[in-house]
Amino acid sequence: MSAALIWIFLPFGLALILGPLRNERLTAGLASGASFILALTAWLLPLDTAIRAGTFSLKIASSLEILGRYLILNSADRPLLTLIYATTCFWFTAAAAIKMAQRLIPLGLGITALLVASLAVEPFLYAALLIEMAVLLAVPLLSPPDHAPARGLFRFLIFQTLAMPFILFSGWLLTGIEANPGDLALVMQAAVLLGLGFTFLLAIFPFNTWIPLLTEEAPPYSAGFILWTFPTTALLFALGFLDRYSWLRTAPQLPNILIIAGLLMVLSGGLLAAFQRHLGRLLGYAVIVEGGFSLLALSLSGTTGLNLFFLLLIPRVFSLGIWSFSISILKEHSPSLRFSEVKGLMRTLPFAAAGALLAHMSLAGVPLLAGFPIRQALWEGLARQSFGVAFGVLIGSLGLLIGLIRSLAVLCMVPESRRWEARESWPERIFLTLGALALIILGLFPQWATPLLVRLPSVFEHLGQ
Amino acid sequence: MLILLPILLLILTALTLVILRLARPTFKYSWLIASGGAILALIAVFLWQLRLPQTLALPAWQLQAFFFYSPTWLADSVSWPYALSLTALALAIILTSVVRAKVNPMAWAGMFMLTALGLLAVTAENPLTLVLAWTALDLMELVSMLLSVESEEQSEGVVVAFAARLAGTGLVIWASILSVTSGTWLSFSNVPARAGIYFLLASGLRLGVLPLHLPYRHENTLRRGFGSSLRLVSAASSLVLLARIPASAVNTSLTPYLLTLAALAALYAGWMWLRASDELTGRPYWLLGMASLAVAASLRANPTGSIAWGVALLLGGGYLFLNSARQRSLIWLSLFALWGLTALPFSLTASGWSMHSTYSGGAQISALFWILFLPAQALLLAGYFRHSSNVGETSLESQPPWVKVIYPLGLLLLPLSQVLLGLWGWEGARQVGVWWAALTALALGAGLAWLSTKVLTRLTSSDATSRWGDVLRLNWLYRGAWGMYRSLGQVSQVITSTLEGDGGVIWSFIILLLALSLLIPGIR
Repeated sequence: MSAALIWIFLPFGLALILGPLRNERLTAGLASGASFILALTAWLLPLDTAIRAGTFSLKIASSLEILGRYLILNSADRPLLTLIYATTCFWFTAAAAIKMAQRLIPLGLGITALLVASLAVEPFLYAALLIEMAVLLAVPLLSPPDHAPARGLFRFLIFQTLAMPFILFSGWLLTGIEANPGDLALVMQAAVLLGLGFTFLLAIFPFNTWIPLLTEEAPPYSAGFILWTFPTTALLFALGFLDRYSWLRTAPQLPNILIIAGLLMVLSGGLLAAFQRHLGRLLGYAVIVEGGFSLLALSLSGTTGLNLFFLLLIPRVFSLGIWSFSISILKEHSPSLRFSEVKGLMRTLPFAAAGALLAHMSLAGVPLLAGFPIRQALWEGLARQSFGVAFGVLIGSLGLLIGLIRSLAVLCMVPESRRWEARESWPERIFLTLGALALIILGLFPQWATPLLVRLPSVFEHLGQ
Repeated sequence: MLILLPILLLILTALTLVILRLARPTFKYSWLIASGGAILALIAVFLWQLRLPQTLALPAWQLQAFFFYSPTWLADSVSWPYALSLTALALAIILTSVVRAKVNPMAWAGMFMLTALGLLAVTAENPLTLVLAWTALDLMELVSMLLSVESEEQSEGVVVAFAARLAGTGLVIWASILSVTSGTWLSFSNVPARAGIYFLLASGLRLGVLPLHLPYRHENTLRRGFGSSLRLVSAASSLVLLARIPASAVNTSLTPYLLTLAALAALYAGWMWLRASDELTGRPYWLLGMASLAVAASLRANPTGSIAWGVALLLGGGYLFLNSARQRSLIWLSLFALWGLTALPFSLTASGWSMHSTYSGGAQISALFWILFLPAQALLLAGYFRHSSNVGETSLESQPPWVKVIYPLGLLLLPLSQVLLGLWGWEGARQVGVWWAALTALALGAGLAWLSTKVLTRLTSSDATSRWGDVLRLNWLYRGAWGMYRSLGQVSQVITSTLEGDGGVIWSFIILLLALSLLIPGIR
């Protein structure tokens, strides 16, 4: 048995089986159960080592050959697989509560399997193709069957597709550099193409317009899932490049490029968030800021940056999940998520409104919530390197906070003497309460997430040292 | 572990009250449980004196390479007076609730939780712990207030208050970042001069003093117990920071300007407090006025003076806000409470006007300082006297005999705490102080009190007064800021619609090409 069979083909097969199922709870139960088991096995099962139980012996091979290409998932990848499937389990469990399971799960599981394959494939250039396949699979998830595809979806498709040729071409040049490392012109060309490819893939300003458009137009929970999976995979893919090529990793310009790109994302996302009048778009801008934080974390020297990069992930997934879940509920009870339409909804949907606000606070770095400890560490790390960068980052965060205050003002505005009630269903209330508790607990005890995260840097052989 | 004891007792009492309320709504002994819990918490705070200072730290936030602090609490001579005041206030609220017809054990539970959070804030050992406690308090206040507001204007006030508090929290975080850039890890025992002023601004902002703002000007005045606790605990959590700012950290060129702003806030608040129809209507002005005096003490490098004014705000204010049933024979209690606010020798606030020897700004601003701040204190004293001599909501004489015993005991607890703290509260509390300033303020206050009984009742609010109110409350400044925000919003709208519009993809490429043409030569 091979690792690729368990963590790529098995979930992909399950996605195909779940596709025709019409039962929300069964779909969610099966998918979240399977994701949980996949996460658990990734955490527990050793690879390339025989596991004996009496006379029974099982060895999971790390490599699988398909037509001369390999899918390799070795022992170092296990923490990453655990993280990916644990977070998938989180998204799928909640999906049933807002009746999104049938829509999200089959496609979501397929996308996850493809993205895992993109991290495992050798030669790694095929990853760009696998990511593109995942992008195509995301199209029906983001566009409801009875609606014409909107602008955000087209932009998403255009920019993610544009990334592919740049990365493939740069990969071709990189093989040339491996043979002839002294050719500086070739190195420069490869670097520019790679930079362009990742500019599209990571949605760096100004190629991030699809994010707020998507969160405005698409179903919020699906958009939230996509905005968690794609940027995270793209960042891991980028880390793979850095890990593989020492000339890239050791380039003296790299920290500056990461700082400029990260700061651009934090500033553009944060400042534009301050003036939004749409709850969905605010989520989009928060995602842009998060992407910027990841790049800024990587700009920090040594393993500090990589550790902070991974520490950002857990608060992010919780916050994005709770935020998109909450605004899905709000959208169900309101014509749109425009400020003018959601006025006073806190009185009728207090759990959903509180969930959206708490998740927003967490991503804005408000103390007591999951996002704060890591941001504090990142702010201080950046301040030690450059006061200007730390100041810029704080300005971006301030923009997110202004967006938060405006959302709060709108949600709790009482147009008339409206009574307090809770129209959310019990599963929705339970999920939101647990989510809020998770945000607070992780804000007070961030060390509880470290057993999982502390092993993640070892996924990258060179960067993690 | 002694630090945790009162906090655990308060939380346990709150949980017991909630469970009993849900499981047995007709349970009759909630008051006994509440008062028992409050008495034990007060005793537990007294027990801190067995070993001062003492600290309690939560497990470190791993990885230690990034997290240099962990949530830690400290019981010392700064936190103890505030902790004692908060627990005394909680007990006084329970004891005085016997005269109020509508008492709800759930409100007591909320009040106990608030007090527990307040204790966590006043005992914070480092800025990280303080901002965590602040946020918990702010969220609790936000929820409590949103549940009680009934109009759009009120809910807007709640959001503005929350935003101001959050901004104050942000300033502490900013101070810690500034400190890191100068190579120092910020803690209350090590505040670099560059960061100290941000602590002061943070505290001033949260208290509504710097700059002057009053989001709860038209607050719901119905809830004496919980409402007073909400306001006072929140104020205490911000006031304690003033006492942690070392004298060396406030010696900046900004100090005279900040002192002027604090003086304006104090004068405005004092005047409005004196003019308020009753103590609950005037509550926001009392908090603002006394907090301004505390901020001023801190600005004059007198952190212990800020404790004096801060504790006087809590205990003096607490006494007046809980004193709903009045009796002529209990007027001595009010005078007893008033004495603590006078700054007379050996009173609670005797150290309020003292000045630290290292303070160098005294010579230039001392005359102006006294001219502005003594009338402010006098206005607050006069208002206090005026409101405490009102007839009150009910009469104590019509109450059953046991209420006539319990209720005055609850009230007495607060002036007694004032005396205790004035004599043994903290190092430097027991002193003669600037006696001439106290006497001047007292004389001025007596005159104002007399005038208020003769003249103020006939004064009506005119347009000119409300215009001045607008100016002093800096409404013009906030309107200007709002206008600027709207203009920037229009710019952002243009950018967004350009990039997201039909030509957006082309615009994105043009921006990219421009950026590349600028960046690539630099990278080379």
